[in-house]
This record gives sequence, structure tokens and C-alpha cells, in this order.
Amino acid sequence: MASVHALRFGLLGVLCVSAAACGGGGGGGGGGASGGGPPPTNNTTSVIVDAGPLNMSVNTLFTSVTVCVPGSTTSCQTIDHIQVDTGSYGLRILASVLTLTLPVETLANGNSLAECTQFVDGFSWGPVAAADIQIAGETAHSLPVQVIGDSRFTNIPAGCSGTGGTEEDTVSAFGANGILGIGPFELDCGDCDTVATHGLYYACATSCTETAVPNNLQVPNPVTHFDADNNGAIVVLPAVAAGGASDVMGSLIFGIDTQSDNASGSQTVLTVNDNAELLMTFNGQPLANSFIDSGSNGIYFNDPSIATCPAPPGDPSSQIVNFYCPTSTLNLEVSIQGMNGAMANSVTFEVGNAETMLQSSFDAFPQLAGTIPPGNAGSFDYGLPFFYGKRVAVAVQGATTTAGTGPYIAF
Amino acid sequence: MPIFHSDDFKRAALGGALLIAALIPQIASATLGQPEITVQTDVARSHAAIKSSEDRSSYRVHEIQLPSGTVMREFVAPNGNVFAVAWQGPTRPDLRQALGQYFDAYSSASRSKLSDRRHVQIRQGDLVLQSGGHMRALSGRAYLLSAIPSGVNIGELH
Repeated sequence: MASVHALRFGLLGVLCVSAAACGGGGGGGGGGASGGGPPPTNNTTSVIVDAGPLNMSVNTLFTSVTVCVPGSTTSCQTIDHIQVDTGSYGLRILASVLTLTLPVETLANGNSLAECTQFVDGFSWGPVAAADIQIAGETAHSLPVQVIGDSRFTNIPAGCSGTGGTEEDTVSAFGANGILGIGPFELDCGDCDTVATHGLYYACATSCTETAVPNNLQVPNPVTHFDADNNGAIVVLPAVAAGGASDVMGSLIFGIDTQSDNASGSQTVLTVNDNAELLMTFNGQPLANSFIDSGSNGIYFNDPSIATCPAPPGDPSSQIVNFYCPTSTLNLEVSIQGMNGAMANSVTFEVGNAETMLQSSFDAFPQLAGTIPPGNAGSFDYGLPFFYGKRVAVAVQGATTTAGTGPYIAF
Repeated sequence: MPIFHSDDFKRAALGGALLIAALIPQIASATLGQPEITVQTDVARSHAAIKSSEDRSSYRVHEIQLPSGTVMREFVAPNGNVFAVAWQGPTRPDLRQALGQYFDAYSSASRSKLSDRRHVQIRQGDLVLQSGGHMRALSGRAYLLSAIPSGVNIGELH
């Protein structure tokens, strides 16, 4: 097992001495350029669904990112197993895998900027630092990124930890070496430039206090800061066998309608609301807080008619009780409506037995489904299984493509 | 299950409303399982304000607005204790304050094979804690099973 795992790492983990040597994997951006001019930027990198750095993830999509000290072409590092998340914004790296020292951003008053990133299951604390980054041939310069669990910032403010959940400042608690948030907005906060939002950005001197932050210092979706192909990204994954598979590989393509390999074609464009949400209808119920999200590891919805899994003997608090365990595979459907009125009617999906899946050694499961905490107006969270066998484009707010104007999700 | 007479409840509600009026705008948060008066405790920290207080048939709900957009709702049973807390917004509110002795349960689930960053559902003794959503739109609720007044549909608690 260990050697297999090492192989997986070898696949994505390459230590680069210079940024130029770190092109990233995957097919190139199809040229087709007629006449002279520079060749198009390589806009495609490889992604993989594997067991992750803890050798225990399921339905979790990873890629590699090259990070450099701003302005340097030699102080660079390529980091594997960065989770690809269309449900968040910004690049965040665990300090324990970072061999570089990145300069911390400072506010106008000279205080250092730090962030408490809130995920549903907990929070990650660390400074906002500047980095040059490269993915495939795409580059962003002096990009604000979060360094999670940085030894220079060890005192977690009570207001941060008080938002609840687990402190996720190590790879073992976070489950990845970092996260690449490429959702359909630029910033990880709606109005942090004017409001000191509770438990989010902090100005740090001898201690840290909540602060408003100019937009240009907030942690952005890196795609929006690329020199080219910066209006969105496309996730392409193959279909996965019903019973599961291991190490499913696909592509992450940057830009939409900017090169010949990222054309919208006849995709259905679903505009999302200010919370990146869509209206899904399941079992006749409209669920207004629904979303499509590569960062969710299953299909999450509520259907009381489907049996949930039993708790394993001796482990009554196992999370598996929140997942579905039908005796035979169920064929279900959901309709998805965008804010633009466009509809994807009767999108079919299958629900399998989560207990059976977990007994296998696979890490990609198209039929993994579970119950969802009830959102304000009801939610259907269509996670990574949605992406299997599809080409899903995420256009950022304000971006214009031949198919529409972001923020949208198209497939 | 305490049953009360509607007059008692109205009187209690009025008293509560007066108390709330006296505390505005400092009221921030009550604590799950504790008397409604715990609203005083968390005051200055979050600069929140009560947006509304509404008496429903078998409980009272306070809607508390944080300046950064998060809304918290606190459900008070006729016996005066907070039996449920719900939140929704760009970030979570001060749950250490709002959940009190139940706060640590939120971090009790360690990372397992089924973990992702979008779902937490914990049942620990009397406590049910459910947290969901995604970056820029987080929501959740916590309630005490034995403290829910009779006739309340938990679907209303959001």
C-alpha cells in the first residue's frame, strides 16, 4: 500500500528548481493559431481523484500548484494534492508542506493580515501572504494566498475558534496539502472591504483583531488573477464505473472561449445567485439553496424514503449514519434551474449503498449519497459525482463568454 | 412537558420584550439550554442587534443581526430557556457563546473517510447539531431534543 501511495505522489509531486521547469501535466492548449504570434498559453493541467495525502479521501479532486516567492524564478516549489474546489475561493496552502518563506501581506497601518477561513466542519487559521503561482502555463503574480498553520501566527483569536468546528491547521486535520478555490466569484468574502466580518480577516500586531480589508489584499480565486484565460475554468472528468474506481484522472482547463480547447459549444448555462446557488427541484420540492460543487464528496439531499446506513457496532457516532444504504441501486432525477431561467431537466443520478462502497479500496464513487443539513430554503448539494462523465465550466462573476455572462455553471 | 396558559405566555412574552428593549442594541446572543436572560452575556463583542422578536404558538424566536450579514435565530421555550439556535450568513456567529456547554460537540467529529468540508451532523445525547452550506453562505442549527416544546416541527427551526 505504501508503495502504491508513493507512486501516486510521484505522479503529481515534482519538486521544481525553477518555475519554467514546472509546466504542469496534461494536454496542451490546442493552438490552431494561424499565422505568426506567440503560441497560446498551456491552459490545461491534470487532476486526479485519489485517496489523498492521508490515504483515506473519497471523491476528492486534487491537482498540483507551483508557488514561488514573488519575483523569484528560483525560489519555487510544486505542491501536489491541492484540492480543487469549485465551492470556495482562493489558494490556501498548509504551512507544513511549504518550504518557502512567503512575505505576509500588510495593511496600511502596518499590521499583518491573517485569515480565519471557515469551512462547514471547522476553521483554518494563518496569514495572508503574497506568492507568484503557476498552474500549467498560467501565471499570477503577487497573489494573496493563505498560509494555513503558519508558525509565525500561533495564537488563534477566540473569535476565530469560536465560529466552531475542528481546527484544521495540519495536513492530517485538513485532509489535503492545500485547496484551490475556483468558484464563480473572485473573492472569498462579499463585503469585507467595508465591514469587519465576524471571524474572518484579522489585523495582527501584538494581537489580532477583526478588520475590513481592501479587495486587493483579500484572498482571491487565482484564476481571476491569471495573465490570460482568467474568466473561469473547466473541470473534465471521465465517467466512473458504478461500483467505483481508483485514481480517476481528468483535466482542469483554464479560460472559457479563450482558446480552441475551451469553447463553450452548446453547453447549458445556469446562472448562479449571489451565494453561487441554483434552484433544484427534487421529488417535487423546490430547493432554493442548492449547489453544484466539486468540494462536496457526494450527492447530498433529503429523501426520507431511502434507508440510511446503520452505525457500525461499537461506533455509534460514525458519520456513515448520515449516508444512504439502499439495498439495491436507486435511479433518481433532479431538475436544475439557473437564475437566468435556463433549466437542466431530469438530470439522472444513481444512489448506491455507502457501506458497500467503503468496504472497497476505491476512492471514486459516482453513487455516494447522503442526507443534508436543512438549509434555510432547502438544499440539494450535487458534489463531485456530478462532474463524472461531464465537462463542467465555472465562469466567474462579470466574465463574458460566447455562452453568457458569469457567474454561471455550464455543462 | 410544561403546558402553559396563553395568558402566562403573553405576560412572559411582554416581560421578555421589555427586557429586550432595555438591552438593545447590546443584545448579541443567548446560550443554548440556558435562560433567555443569557442574552446579556455576549454584548460588546459582536455589536449585534435584535432585528425582531416574534411569538409563535409554542415558542418565541429572536432574530439577531450581525453587522457583517449573518443572522442568528434563537428559539425560546415557554419555560424561558433557549431550546434551539440557528444561523445563516457569510460566516458563522460566535457559537462558543451561543452553544455554551454544547460548543465542544461541534469539534468532536474527527476527520474520517467520509469527511468533506460541507457537512456536519452530530447527535450527542440530547444535542442535535447540523451545519452546512459553503464558503460565503454558511448555515446551521443546534437544538436540544428534550427541550423542544410540544407541537413544534423541527423543520421550523432554521
